[in-house]
Parts: sequence; C-alpha cells; structure tokens
Amino acid sequence: MEQTRAGEYDAFVAARWSVLFHLARLLTGGDRHRAEDLLQESLVKLWFVWPKIADEAPEAYVRKVLARAAARSARRRWWGERPVEQLPEVAAAGDMSATVAERSRLEAALGQLTPQQRAAVVLRYYQDLPDRQVAETLGCPVGTARSHAARGVARLRRLLADVIEPVG
Amino acid sequence: MDRMDHTDHLDHGARMDHEDRGPGGGDRWDGSDAFERQLAQLMHRAQQPAPFEARHREALRAGVRARRRVRTARRAAGSVLAVAGLGLGLFLWPHGHTDGRPTAPHPRPMISPSPAPSTSPSQSPTESPSAPPSTTSPATTTNSSAPARTRTPSGPPTATAGTAHGATASYRPPSATATAPAAGGTTAAATAPVSEPAEPSGEPSSTIGATG
Repeated sequence: MEQTRAGEYDAFVAARWSVLFHLARLLTGGDRHRAEDLLQESLVKLWFVWPKIADEAPEAYVRKVLARAAARSARRRWWGERPVEQLPEVAAAGDMSATVAERSRLEAALGQLTPQQRAAVVLRYYQDLPDRQVAETLGCPVGTARSHAARGVARLRRLLADVIEPVG
Repeated sequence: MDRMDHTDHLDHGARMDHEDRGPGGGDRWDGSDAFERQLAQLMHRAQQPAPFEARHREALRAGVRARRRVRTARRAAGSVLAVAGLGLGLFLWPHGHTDGRPTAPHPRPMISPSPAPSTSPSQSPTESPSAPPSTTSPATTTNSSAPARTRTPSGPPTATAGTAHGATASYRPPSATATAPAAGGTTAAATAPVSEPAEPSGEPSSTIGATG
C-alpha cells in the first residue's frame, strides 16, 4: 500500500516538477532557491494528503499551497527586496540569449509587484485561470483577486514597456 | 502512469475549456489587450526545463521524514499537555470546593423599621436580666420611633400577646419576645426589668415597645 502510494506520488512529482518549479519561480519573482524551498514545502504537504486527493486534482492542491505560501511568507518575512526605480538586472547584449534575457526581465518585473499582485497575475496569465478560480486559490473575494491582477498588470505594463512592444 | 494520464487529461480539459471561452469570449480574456496576451506568452516562454533530480527526491524524502517527526512530537506533546491539565484539574478540585464556601454572613433584610430595638431586647433578657438600663433605653427609643404600634395595643394587657405576635412577624428576634407573652407569669422573672414598669397600668405600651 505504502509502496503504491509512494510510486504514484513519485510519478506525479517527476512529471509535474518542471511546470510546478516554474510556477514557484514566477511566484517568488525569480528567486530560484526560495522557489525550490517553496515547492518542496508544498510537495511535502501533498504527501500527507495524497491518499485523499490523488484521484482528484493534486496539481490544483499544490498550486493553492504554493500561491498562498508565497503570499504569506512574503508578508511574514523580509526577503531583502527593495523597490527601485530602475530594474537592476539589465541583460548584456552578448552574454545571454534573448530568451534568458527576456525571462530575467520578466522575473525582475514580477519581483517589483506585491506578493498578492504577483500571485494573481501569475495565476491568471501563466496558469490561465479565470478570476473565480484565482480568487478561490488565493482565498480572497473575486473582486479582490481581480483588483490585484489589474493593478499588477498595470504596473507590469509600465515596467515591461520596452520588452513587450505594443502591437498596432 | 495512470495518474499522469488522468492529470494530463484534466489539464488538457481545463485548457480546452479555457480555449472554448477563447480570447474575448470568457471572463479571463474579457477586455484583454495585446499586452496581456503577450504577457501570457512571455510567461509560458520563460519556462525552462528543470528535471526532477535525485537531490530533489532526497530533499523531499528528508522533508517528509522531518514533518512526520514534527507531527509525532506535536501529537505526543498534546497528549502530555492534556494529561497534565487533567491531573492538575483533579488536584485542584477539592481546594476549589472548600474555597467555594461562603464566608460572609447572610445579608439582613433592610426593610425592618428599626433594627436597634430588635437587637437590644434580645440581648437584655438572655445576657442579664439585671441590666434594665439596656432594655429601658431601647424602650424609650421604640416609643419615639414607633408610636403607631404603641397606639394599636392600647387596650388591656392581653393585647400584649397580640402585639408580641405582631412584633414577631415584623422583627427578627422572636425568641425573646415570644417567651414574654407565652410564658405569661414566668416572664415576670425573665423580663423582670420589663415587668417592673408594667406594674402601672399605663406602662404596657412601653413593654410592647421593648418587645417589639
């Protein structure tokens, strides 16, 4: 029984690790180590509820734990982030590929948002969740989730104006 | 593997459901502009392959073990606390019972018209009949304080009993006053100072005041 449980759990983690790690990284604003800690904490929690939710939606459970823990830990501890006018990580022209530079710029811009705004934006635009599910995941009213996402996008629009060129 | 197919199917179903709403068709894409669509693409593009390595597996195992230990310790601590609390409660139970006794005297009724005369006559017959000044002094106060009572039994000395009963009903010390009319002749000895002024016929009113 325990072996079966462990096997199913390992298979799920191995299959979804990459996606979940990217989600954690976006939720932490690009902090790789914190993203690993956050994801591991969420997956440990998943292990203890695995028999209950294995047949339902384990990824939704991990997503909820990740998003809420990211917002909570950012409120609880100070991670050394300081809001600045200019983005500190500017990609050099020749030493990074365009994709890596784009990703770094995106993560740096996400790091400028508040944790709630960042979680709402990531859940909405990376996880493609509707407002209702974003609110359910974050544990807040729909209007609050919509407000967080709108403010986050408005700020990203200013920060990423030169990365995402206006179309038309 | 079955699980993976299931989750993939779920994800695909959710995505299909989302795509059914489509850009501009659902609440997610309502009012979205080019920037929001490009932002979504950028977030998906930024994903880099991150394989699940052995160190991740080991870290997960260690995390599960640590959390299991913490859970066990927490459960044990909770049990110990519960037992300790129960024991403390049982230990303190008798003390709480004895301490709960009322120590203050019962409150006396405040509606009695004059508590002073009621106390002094009760003391005077019991303590010493040879202390007439103590009885006479409340007698005088009774006369001054309750003239209506002295007026009612103004008739014969037999009315003394009636007044005594009335006094028993309204005042606290019935023992001293009740013996006075009930004993009748014996009260002559017991209430010697009281009966002494009773020799004149006009004095029973003062006797009533003393008893009442």
